[in-house]
Amino acid sequence: MLRRSLIAGAAVVPFLRNAARAARDAGVLRFGLSSYPPTLAPWQNAGTAAGTVQLIMNRGLLSYAPDGTLQGELAERWGRDGDAWVFKLREAQFHDGTPVRAEDIKWNLEQVAGEKSTAYLRAQFQQAERIEMPDARTVRLVMRTPNATIPLLLATFFMPVVKPGTTGAGAQPVGVGPFILKAAERGVGLEFEANPKYYKPGLPKLRGIRATAYADENLRVAALQAGDLDLIEYVPWQSMAGIEADPKLRLDATDGPYMYLVFNGKAGPFADARVRRAVAHAIRRDEIVRAAFFGRGKPLEGLPVTPGTEFFDSVRARAQAYDPARAKALLAEAGHPNGFSTTLLSTAQYGMHKDTAEIVQQNLAAVGIQVELKLPDWATRVALGNRGQYEFAVGGTASDSNDPDGMSAVLDGTLPPSYTRSINLPTPRVHDLLAAGRSEFDPAKRRAIYAEMQDVALEQAEFVGLAWRSQGYAMSSDIKGFHNLPGSIGFFSGYTLETAEFV
Amino acid sequence: MGWALRRVGISVLLVWAVASIVFVAIRLVPGDPAELLLSQGGMAPDPAAVEQLREQLGLDLPASEQYGRQMLGLLRGDLGRSIQDDSPVLDSIARRLPRTLELIGAAAVLALAVGLPAGVGAAIRQGGLLDRIGSALSGLALAVPVFVVGTLLVLVFAQWLRWVPAGGYVPLARDPAGHLVLLAMPAVTIALGLGAVVFRMARAAVLDVSARDYVRTARAKGLAPRRVLVHHVVRNALGPVVTVVALHLGSLLGGTVLVEYVFNWPGLSGLLVDAVSARDYPMVSGIILVISVLFVALNLLVDLLYAVLDPRVQHG
Amino acid sequence: MTRRLWLPAGAVALLALIVLLTPLLGLPDPVRMDVPGRLAGPGPDHVLGQDEYGRDVLSRLAWGGRVSLTVAAGSAAIALVVGTTLGLLGGYLRGVVELVTVRLMDVVLCFPPLLLALLVVTLLGPGAGTLILVLSVLYVPGFARVAYGGVLSVRAQDYVEAMRALGAGRTRIMLRTILPNVAGPLLVQLSLAAASAVVLESGLSFLGLGVVPPAPSWGLMIRGARATMAQSPLLLLWPCLALTLTILALNALCDALRDALDPYPAPPRARRHLLDMLAPGLLPPRSDAVLDVRGLTVEIDTPAGPIQPVREVSLHVAPRETLAIVGESGSGKSLTGLAVMGLLPAAARVAAGSAVFLGRDLLRLDEAALRRVRGAELAMIFQDPMSSLNPVHRAGRQVAEAVLAHQQVSAAASEARALELFEQVGIPDPASRARSFPHELSGGMRQRVMIAMAMANGPRLIIADEPTTALDVTIQAQVLDLLAGLQRERGLALVFITHSLAVVAEIAGRVAVMYAGQVVEEGPVERVFAHPLHPYTAALLASAPTGGGTPPRGIPGVVPLPHALPPGCAFAPRCAHRIDACEAAPPPLLQAAPDQAPRCIRWAEL
Repeated sequence: MLRRSLIAGAAVVPFLRNAARAARDAGVLRFGLSSYPPTLAPWQNAGTAAGTVQLIMNRGLLSYAPDGTLQGELAERWGRDGDAWVFKLREAQFHDGTPVRAEDIKWNLEQVAGEKSTAYLRAQFQQAERIEMPDARTVRLVMRTPNATIPLLLATFFMPVVKPGTTGAGAQPVGVGPFILKAAERGVGLEFEANPKYYKPGLPKLRGIRATAYADENLRVAALQAGDLDLIEYVPWQSMAGIEADPKLRLDATDGPYMYLVFNGKAGPFADARVRRAVAHAIRRDEIVRAAFFGRGKPLEGLPVTPGTEFFDSVRARAQAYDPARAKALLAEAGHPNGFSTTLLSTAQYGMHKDTAEIVQQNLAAVGIQVELKLPDWATRVALGNRGQYEFAVGGTASDSNDPDGMSAVLDGTLPPSYTRSINLPTPRVHDLLAAGRSEFDPAKRRAIYAEMQDVALEQAEFVGLAWRSQGYAMSSDIKGFHNLPGSIGFFSGYTLETAEFV
Repeated sequence: MGWALRRVGISVLLVWAVASIVFVAIRLVPGDPAELLLSQGGMAPDPAAVEQLREQLGLDLPASEQYGRQMLGLLRGDLGRSIQDDSPVLDSIARRLPRTLELIGAAAVLALAVGLPAGVGAAIRQGGLLDRIGSALSGLALAVPVFVVGTLLVLVFAQWLRWVPAGGYVPLARDPAGHLVLLAMPAVTIALGLGAVVFRMARAAVLDVSARDYVRTARAKGLAPRRVLVHHVVRNALGPVVTVVALHLGSLLGGTVLVEYVFNWPGLSGLLVDAVSARDYPMVSGIILVISVLFVALNLLVDLLYAVLDPRVQHG
Repeated sequence: MTRRLWLPAGAVALLALIVLLTPLLGLPDPVRMDVPGRLAGPGPDHVLGQDEYGRDVLSRLAWGGRVSLTVAAGSAAIALVVGTTLGLLGGYLRGVVELVTVRLMDVVLCFPPLLLALLVVTLLGPGAGTLILVLSVLYVPGFARVAYGGVLSVRAQDYVEAMRALGAGRTRIMLRTILPNVAGPLLVQLSLAAASAVVLESGLSFLGLGVVPPAPSWGLMIRGARATMAQSPLLLLWPCLALTLTILALNALCDALRDALDPYPAPPRARRHLLDMLAPGLLPPRSDAVLDVRGLTVEIDTPAGPIQPVREVSLHVAPRETLAIVGESGSGKSLTGLAVMGLLPAAARVAAGSAVFLGRDLLRLDEAALRRVRGAELAMIFQDPMSSLNPVHRAGRQVAEAVLAHQQVSAAASEARALELFEQVGIPDPASRARSFPHELSGGMRQRVMIAMAMANGPRLIIADEPTTALDVTIQAQVLDLLAGLQRERGLALVFITHSLAVVAEIAGRVAVMYAGQVVEEGPVERVFAHPLHPYTAALLASAPTGGGTPPRGIPGVVPLPHALPPGCAFAPRCAHRIDACEAAPPPLLQAAPDQAPRCIRWAEL
C-alpha cells in the first residue's frame, strides 16, 4: 500500500515539476537576483540587486550604451555651458501616462540634494548652485564649482527620475523605465511587465521580467542549470568554468570590482608609509586571484584605474607589484627588520573577504608580519571600519564609473571617515588633485592631474590594491541583447535588459 | 482559573523579559542600521545622509526613550516599522511566519510518521535488523549537516533528474501542486534530523516503558501483544516523545535558517538572519517576540497535552 | 553486554587519541598554503589531496577534529553539568528555585539557537571559546528539562520518600537516589547534544560564525568544499565522513552506556524453542492438582555465564488449596511464579521442567495459547499495585480490559462487569472509583483493583506475589481476608508468594520453603511450622519475630549468590549441623512423611 503510493508519487513528480516550474512564458525573462532589494525607494544606495531593479523600472537623464559610453535617456542631448550642464529632454511619459517635464527633473534633483535627503549622491548634488528651466524641455544644472563627472553620476542607478509626489512611506514611486512593477512578494521576488509607452520605440523587447531572489549563490547557479531561470547575476567564481562548458548557457563576465587593503594611520606600524608600501610589495596577488576567485580576475598591483581607459598606464599599474626583497628592505628601513604582529579586519560573512584575508595573512607571514584575522559579521566589520577600530582591513568595492574620479571614495582620506578608505590618514594632496581633476574638462590636463595623483597616492600607499575580480552574468544561450557593461560599470548592466530578447 | 491566570501572568513576564533582553543585546552588538543600509555593496555613504536617516528612524533618541516607545508600541500590539524599507514589521512577520510554520509542520508530520513507528519497532526487536538499520540511519541523519543534505538533494533531484525546481516558493493559492513540490525538499531535509530525534526518543521511551510493572500486568491479563503495545507501551511512551518533539519544534521556529537558505524558502528564519545582518532593530525584536509568544504557546500546549497523556500531571 | 560497550568505546577512544596525538603525527602544517597545488587530488605528499588553498586535507582533517571535538565535548559536558544541576535543583527544591530555573530555561529556549549564536558571536567575536559558550547555553535547557522531568516523576516515589523519612540530606537524596534514576535519559540527551554540537559547529562555521580561519575545523572544511563541490567532490566527502563517523561512534557509545546502565537488560537472544527439545517431566501429572510444577529450572545469562536462580523446583496445588511459597529475597520464589505465568523478564528463560495447569504444560504452550490462559483461568497479583497499574488509564478501564481480553462482550458490558468486580472486592462507591486514575486511589484500593482484575474471568488459580508487602498492616489484613474469602467462595486455588511467615500461618494450608533457588522443605503449614525438618526452615522460624519474649535469632552468613553456589547443600555454609557429606553432593528432596519433604540428608538425626 505504502510502496504503491510511493511509486505513484514518483511517477507524478516529473509532471508536477512542470507545474511548479513556472513554465517559460513566451517573452518573460526569469531573472535570478542575488538578494531581494532591501528597499525600492529611489536615489538610495541599497546594493547592486536593488540597483538592477531600479534599472528595470526606472530611467534617469543619462545611461550607458553596451560599449560603456554615455547615452541619453530622458535627456536627448546634453552638454556643458560654462559652469552649468544643460539637458534637452525628449518626449516621454511616466508609467501612469503623464508627460515628463523639466520641472519634474528639477524636483528629482532637489530631492536628492535636499536637507532631509538620504540619497547616495546627496553631497555631490548639494554642490549644485541652482537648477534653471529655460523652457519646458530644458534643464540647466548650475554648479558651484565646475564638475566634469556630473554626466557619469547621472548615468548611475542612483539617479532615477520618478514622478513628483509619488515617493514616501509605503508608496511605490512612478517611474519612466522600460518595465512596470506588477507585483512584489517581499523577500521572494518581483514581477514586471513591459511598459507599452516606453519612449524608445520597439523597446523593451521582452514582454516581462520575473525576478526572484536566490541568496545562496550555489542555488542560484543550480536553478539556472536546472532551467528554472534564464538569467542570473553575481555568478560565483567557482561556477564560471562549468557555465562556460555548458552549451545551453552563456557567461558574460568582466573585471570591474576590486579587493584592496586599507589602514588605520592613528598609531602603530601602519602610520608609517614605508610599512604600508612593504605590505603592498609582500602580497602575491596571483594567489588571491587563484584561491579566492578561482582565477576569475586579475592582480591589482596599483590603483584601480580601469585598464583600457586613457588614464591607465602600465607602469603605475604595477607600482605595488610583488617584491619580497623590497618589502623586507622597507620594513627594515621603518624599524621592523623582524616584522611585527598585527590584526587584519575582514568578514567571514562574504567568502571573498574571508579568502582574501587568509591569503594576505599567509603572504605577510613570509616577510615576518604575523597577522591575526578578525572576522566578524559584515555589520560589525562596517561599524569597526567606520570608527577606526582596526589596524588594517580588507575592502572590496567597485567604482561608480570608469573615470578616475570614481576612486575618490577609496583614496581621499580627507573625506569623512568611512570603512571604504584608510582612516586617520588624511592626504590633502590627493584630495586637492582629485578635486582639480573633477573640475577640469580638458582631457590632456585631466590625464596629467590623475597621473600626479596616482604618484602621490602610491607613495602614501593608503590604498593597497589586491585583485580585480570578475563580475559575471550567466544566461540561457538563447538570450540576446543583454550585455555586461565593461569595467566598473558592470553593475549597471541592467540598462541592457530593455534590448534583451529570446531568439 | 487561578492556575490559568498565573500561567498567563508568567507568560507575559517571559515575553517582556525576552523583549528587554533583545532590546539591550541587539544594541550592544556593534553595527549601525542607518550606516549599514546606506553602505550596501561596499559603498561609502555620505555621513550627513546617515545622520539624516538616523533621525528619520528615531535612532538618535536616547536608548531609554527608544525602549519606552517600543514597549508602548508593544502594549498597543504595534511592533514598529522595518528600518530597511519602512514597512510594518507585523506585515512582514505575518507573511513569513506561515511559511516557516508550514515547513516545520510538514517536517514534523513526516518525522513522526516515520520516526515513531520505526522507533517503536526498533525497541520491540532490540538488536534486530530494524533497530540496527534505524540506529545507523538516525546517527547518519544527525551527523550530516542540513546544508550538505540540502545541496545534495538539489544536485540530485533538481540538477540531475530535473524532477523538481532547485528550491523557491510559490504561494499555495497560485499553484497548489507547485507549492507542495517546492515544500517537499526542504521539509524532507528538516524531517531527516527531526525524524532521527523522534526515532531515538521513541525507541528509548518504549524500552523504558516495556520494563515497567504495568506492562507485565497487562501481559498477565492475557492481552493481545498488539493491545499491550499500543495501549500500555506506546501510550505511556508518548509523553517523553511529545515533550522532545515539541522542544525541537520550538527551536526550529527560528532555526530553519540553513534550510531556508539552501532551498530559497522565504520563511521567518531567513528574515530574522537578514534582519540581524542589517541590524534592523524593530524587525529583530518583532520576530523574536513572535517566536517567544509562539514558544510560550507551544509550551502551554505541551503541558496540556502532557496532562492529557499522563493524568498524574494534572495535580502537579 | 560489555562486548557491546567495547566497540563504540574503542572507536571514541581512538578518535580522542587521534585528536590528542595530532601534533605528534608529523602531518604537514594545516595552515600552510600552496596555491599552485590547490584542489590537487590525493598523492604521495598529500594522502587525501589538497584543498582550495593547497593545504593538506588529511592534516586539516586531524587538526580540525581537534577543534570540532573539543567544542562538542566541552559544550556538551558543560551543558550536562549545569543543566542537570539546574534541573535537579528546580525539580527537587521547588518554590522560588523551581520558578527561576524553569523560567530561565524558557527564556533561553525562546531565542532561536541561531539568533543566540549570532548575538553572542557578534558580541564576543567568533572563536572556539565563544562556540563552546553558545552551544552549552543552547543545550542547558535540554538537560535541565530532562533532569527536571525525571525528578518530578521520581520525587514522589516511595524510596525517595523513604530516604527523606530516614533523614537523608537533600544533596544526598539528589545525588544518590534521583540522579541514577534520571541518568538514562540524560545519557540520551548527552549523545544528542554531543552529536548536534558537532553538527552545529559546522553550521555556524558555514555561516561564518564559528571557528576563525585559517584554523581548521570540519565545519569550515565543509563550507570551503561546498563551493568547489563541482571541481573536487572528495573535499566535501572527507569532512562529512569524519563528522558522520564521529557522531555514529558517539551515539553508539551513549546507546551502549545506557544499555549497560539499564536495570532491565535486553535479551541476548530468544532461545525459548530449545525448551521443546528437552524431555518434559517424566512422572505423570498429579491428577488432583490444578497446577503441577516439576523440575522447573530458570536460567539467566550474565557476563559471567549462565546462572540458575530457580533450580528444579517442583510444586503442586490442588483446587481450594492455598500453597505458600516462602523465602528470603533472592530465593527464586517470584521468578518461579513468573515462569509459570510465562512472564519472565526478557533476560531469563526456562531451562528445564514442566508446569501442568489443568492438563496443559504451560511451559510448552506457544505465546498465543498461553495468552488465552493468562488472566483467564490463571491470574496473577503483583507486589506493588502502584507500579503495576498503568498510570494513564482509569482503574475501571484496566479491569474491563481484562474482561474484554477473554470474553466476547461489548465494551459497555465489560465496564459493567468491572463495576461488579469492584463491588465484589469491596471497593466502596465502585462507579466513581472506576473513573479514578490509579494515583488517585489509596494503596489498599489499588490492590483491590488488582485483585478485581485477577478475578475478572473466574480464574481457577491465582498466583499472588507478595500482594500485601507494599501495604500497611491494617490494609494487609483486609487484603488477606479478601483473598481468603474469595478463595472460599469461588473454590479457587491460590499460590501465595511471601517472605512473611506470619502471613503464611494465616492464609496457607501448605507451604514450600525456598532457599537459593530450591525448595528446601515442603509440607502442611502446621506440621512444617511445628516440626521443621530442614535446618533452614528451623532457622527461619527462629528468626521470625514472635509474640513472646524471646528475641529472634538471626541466621549467620548470607544467601549464596547464584553464580557462586556451594557444590553440595546450598545451606551448608550457614548450617550449624553441617557434616562433610552435606558439602559433597547436592541433597535430594526426601520424603520424610507422606506430605512433608525436606531437602536435608540429616533430617532424621535432627
